[in-house]
Amino acid sequence: MVVVSRRKSVGLFIALSVGLISVILLLYVGWVLLSWRTGVLLFLGILLLAMLISGVILNTFFLVREIRRNEQHDAFINAVTHELKTPIASIRLYLQTLQTRPVDDAKRAEFYRTMVEDSDRLLATVEQVLRTGRIGSAKGKPNLARIDLGEVVEECVTRARTLYHLAPEALAYTPGAGASILADMDEVQAAISNLIENAVKYSGGQVRVTVETATVDEEHVAVRVHDHGTGIPKTELKQIFKRFHRAPGPVAARIPGTGLGLYIVRSVAKRHGGRAWAESEGPGRGSTFVLQLPIAR
Amino acid sequence: MSRDSAHNAARRGAESQRPSGAVARAGRRALLVVEDERHLADGLRFNLEAEGYQVQVAETGEEALEAFAGGAPSFDAMVLDVMLPGKDGFTVISELRQAGQFIPTLILTARGHPDDVLKGFAAGADDYLTKPFDLAILIARIRGLLRRSEWVRSEAKAPLPQRPKDRFTFADKTVDFNLLELRVKDHVFPLTLMEMNVLRYLIQHESETVSRKKMLEQVWGLHEDTDTRAIDNFIVRLRRYLEDDPARPRHLLTVRGLGYRFVANPVKTD
Repeated sequence: MVVVSRRKSVGLFIALSVGLISVILLLYVGWVLLSWRTGVLLFLGILLLAMLISGVILNTFFLVREIRRNEQHDAFINAVTHELKTPIASIRLYLQTLQTRPVDDAKRAEFYRTMVEDSDRLLATVEQVLRTGRIGSAKGKPNLARIDLGEVVEECVTRARTLYHLAPEALAYTPGAGASILADMDEVQAAISNLIENAVKYSGGQVRVTVETATVDEEHVAVRVHDHGTGIPKTELKQIFKRFHRAPGPVAARIPGTGLGLYIVRSVAKRHGGRAWAESEGPGRGSTFVLQLPIAR
Repeated sequence: MSRDSAHNAARRGAESQRPSGAVARAGRRALLVVEDERHLADGLRFNLEAEGYQVQVAETGEEALEAFAGGAPSFDAMVLDVMLPGKDGFTVISELRQAGQFIPTLILTARGHPDDVLKGFAAGADDYLTKPFDLAILIARIRGLLRRSEWVRSEAKAPLPQRPKDRFTFADKTVDFNLLELRVKDHVFPLTLMEMNVLRYLIQHESETVSRKKMLEQVWGLHEDTDTRAIDNFIVRLRRYLEDDPARPRHLLTVRGLGYRFVANPVKTD
């Protein structure tokens, strides 16, 4: 309901600006008709008019952008609320169950496992939010060290296999020529893990993800994460890397997320002098995410 | 349902708020839990089954609607999450209500903003609880919902003299407590269980001013500091049904700062 009223107010502001511009134009035409003989005044008038119109347009532009941003922020708060409260609710439910009911040993072990998984999920969300804050601020510089990219990727893949209970053929890793990079271990790990997590999350029923590292040219090495999942429409390929942005549509709405993952990937790439982008043939045809980083000399 | 079982229901309700062991009864009552988070769904199932209920879990809004699609479903109450894949909980409950399905429903969600709570009640929910929740309170509220629907049913089958009649007629309107209907001239408005309970309570206290807090306690069985504005929402809906001009109510009057008053036969002002 709130979103609808925002849409209305965006429309209202655009209408207001169009109205104001037409009033200005009308006044100006009248003014030209009255004083078309005096050249200097005419020139001055054109200048003022141009300033006025660009002012109104700029104002509207920023206002609309601000409203959009606010909307995304709301969506983010909603998503984070859900991501934080759900595991807490679950842990609490299981703790209270154990507190108030007789539970046999097998069930008890299962409950403990569930609670550990929930606390992992909670931790992941908290870390994601904290990392966004760290990376977003210009002050925090990456803690650079020479690391082997292949090793990092392999570690991330192994961790993802245990985390999502995947067989090696469901999440395959093809190592390329080894390359070392100058990077912040923690940040690069987070970026690669985010890409793998997305690939798994958006795979739909059957997970078939391949991760590969390959040197692009003499100066760059790339990590490519390829999935056969829901795919991405052309218009969204760039948008999805924006902070808080989440792909619209019924398929994506089923998948929980904060809208921070790819923003972190892109920020990490930028901080290391690299690039991150997505490729997709379109909805339903899978997608490939590429993280390209400079090779350390 | 006999008066005896209504008595039983009342006694069960008066039991301690702590979850107890399984209640051994023939004909267990069935609950539908609509929850997409597997961990929560499993935990709820375990606890509700330990309470002696039969539990079915639906993971999406569509699945929940399907569970009711095949004619007369055998659920006595529903626990409904809001943020679901596909159709969300608000859509599910309002579609069910529109289709004439008045199953007692508790919305269980992480969304605790007053706007969300109001939206939930407006969509037709009977109760609203936010996550993270207290297990004992959740179970108490589910019991409350079941108890109330049992009372309604037992009243419908065995009306007691001191209780209001099955029908109540005022001005040109008739409330049928049995059929959950409100007839205004030629129109028939189906009422939800909670709408009818609110209206019944107001009719029972005709010409008296009843406070929002009192209504929450008596109609919902709540004693916490719940947002009492949820009631206003019910009043707005009831006014829409039974007032000629909902903006200038003549039957359901607001008593500023206190609550509401039901007037069956208002004095003509014109």
